[in-house]
Amino acid sequence: MQRRNFLKILGTGAIIAINPSLINGVLRADDGNLFIAYNKVKLLDAQGNALKASSLKKEVTYVFLYPHVSTPCLLIDLEKPTHKNIALKSETSEEYLWRGGVGKNSSIVAYSGICSHQLTHPTPDDSFIKYVPVAEKSIACQERGVIVCSSHLSAFDAAKGCKNIAGEARQPLASVVLEYDEINDELYAVAVLGSDKFQDYFKSFKDELDQYYGGKRKGKKLAEESAKVVELTQFSKEVISY
Amino acid sequence: MERRDLFKLAGVSIAAAAITGCSSSTASVEAAKPIKAKSNGKRVVVVGAGFGGLTVAKQLRQKESSLEVIVLEKKDIFMACPYSNAYLGGIEGVTLETLTHDFYAPAQAHGYEFIQTEVTAIDKANKIVTTTSGTISYDILVLSPGIVYDYESQFPTWNKEKIAQVSRACPAALMPGSEHLALKRQLENMDDGNVVIIPPASGKYRCPPAPYERTSMVAQYMKSEDIQGKVIVLDTRGGAFAKGAAFKESWQDLFADTIEYKGNTKIVDIDTQKKIVTYKEFKDVEDEIGVEKTVSYEVCNFIPINKASPVIAMAGIKTNAAGFAMMEGTSFRSISDKNIYVLGDCVTHGVPPSGQTAIWGAKRAASEIVAQLGGKAFDSKSNLPAQSANVCYSMVNGNPNEAIMVTHDFDINPTTGNLKSKGNVPKPNDGNGKFRSKGVGKLTTEWFNGVKRDLFL
Repeated sequence: MQRRNFLKILGTGAIIAINPSLINGVLRADDGNLFIAYNKVKLLDAQGNALKASSLKKEVTYVFLYPHVSTPCLLIDLEKPTHKNIALKSETSEEYLWRGGVGKNSSIVAYSGICSHQLTHPTPDDSFIKYVPVAEKSIACQERGVIVCSSHLSAFDAAKGCKNIAGEARQPLASVVLEYDEINDELYAVAVLGSDKFQDYFKSFKDELDQYYGGKRKGKKLAEESAKVVELTQFSKEVISY
Repeated sequence: MERRDLFKLAGVSIAAAAITGCSSSTASVEAAKPIKAKSNGKRVVVVGAGFGGLTVAKQLRQKESSLEVIVLEKKDIFMACPYSNAYLGGIEGVTLETLTHDFYAPAQAHGYEFIQTEVTAIDKANKIVTTTSGTISYDILVLSPGIVYDYESQFPTWNKEKIAQVSRACPAALMPGSEHLALKRQLENMDDGNVVIIPPASGKYRCPPAPYERTSMVAQYMKSEDIQGKVIVLDTRGGAFAKGAAFKESWQDLFADTIEYKGNTKIVDIDTQKKIVTYKEFKDVEDEIGVEKTVSYEVCNFIPINKASPVIAMAGIKTNAAGFAMMEGTSFRSISDKNIYVLGDCVTHGVPPSGQTAIWGAKRAASEIVAQLGGKAFDSKSNLPAQSANVCYSMVNGNPNEAIMVTHDFDINPTTGNLKSKGNVPKPNDGNGKFRSKGVGKLTTEWFNGVKRDLFL
């Protein structure tokens, strides 16, 4: 990371950026341009207890709100270990490195649920974006094990840092950087890697933020300490996925 | 004023517009002055602020903030053609505001300049565009001007007065604006009776499923308003049209008593006074004689054959017989001018002339333009084949809203070297074995909302 970029991020105010190279073995970015550390937030289950990573159903899409209290993220245990050290590129050609899944089997991944293409995302009413398990085939592409945003049929390889592989999307879904507490089998969200689209989301969905999160200002607040994880089918009344 | 006189006047104004639109000789001395002096930096001029033009302008500025980008557009307001059939069909929540937007917000947000003006000439040797507001020079020119109707080729015996008369009385509504408002007004004011829909008779035309989606949406509107009458489609394609099987299934299931599809017809005349369409109906493609028939209508939506906007011809770049620009390999650059790119409906790539394809092409073109201006190599074959590069939804029912879809993969045509596409009309997993579903209906709305975010955010 260039020192200049590091300072630039620090200069944005509320968000604290940490040079990834300073924290050995935890953070996944090689270049701070597309890396922002947020509050370290413990993931909880639907009952409000610490989520046990091993309790996640395999290949089921879960949702939690991070790093803001209104920005939905997708959490999936892909069952098989993910690929590691995947080089990814943002739409503006900035390169970054996705290190891989976490958990006992290195199979747990989390990504922003706001599509990197045109911002489709899960709401309490409906969701058009989800992980399509390996056994199912998506209309969007030949590949299996993808997150598909059905509104424009963009597909992202969940085991490769959500690299964009089909549809109009020109960049991966942003990754949520997870820390795994091996002793307690617990998960923490600590940062976001990649082009996240959060500001575009706040600009675009004022009515929705009013409806579900008490307004834009409240929706922009950062998640603190903990975030509840629920299955997508519980988060959204209707899930549409092709 | 007599109705006949009104038509005469309309004919004059159309003729005048045609002259202004095609000749640089009418540009006044005042108009020949530069609109804006050129700075030392690189300048890209974009003609047309539709899906392709707005996308390339935004992308260029996002990719290279030192570029000066100027968008020239003859209209003062953006109005979308995709999703407009939902407006015509009275789908709940779809209003004129849904389809429209100002041009100022995205120009301000992304730092490009929007100028409302009309292009009258292009001097590609000196890289100067002449407009009704003055001249403007460019380093790279992007043409995304869309289509115009070709009444003249389809009906060589029709004079300008007749064309003006038909175009107003039977609005085509494939170019957004007054045509859509007129068609909507006619539908809302109609008594019991027929609506006749006439898709373009031949050739490439904008948004191939549009006339058939419109058929569904008009039938839906008539059902919701309890209008007694038929929606009669006078087509030339014998049922072999975009998403044909999916449309026909939904017509059979939902509007069997309302929609009458006639696939082997030829329009002979439209009498806008008596509201009668005269047409020939053929038994099949072998039948060359046919039987002349008439049908009376309350509303007639006549969509003439399409041709490329005259702006393409002004540029003097190589085109095919229909005036669409010949492309360099898989690029969106003209085959005959390295400083001119073409987007949207006016390209000869074998990809669908859809809104999403225009956006897809504009994003690729933006990358190539930035590379070209930066003196870097660009591989226009990169990321090919592209899976699901195009997805297009068509609403086929209202209350509940249901839709069908087609996806296209894009790849290189080994024969021409241009782009080709392969379509797939899938049955969704929530359709109970049908092509249509409520889920696809919801996605149709989300598709359009997403596109608007992409263009205007």
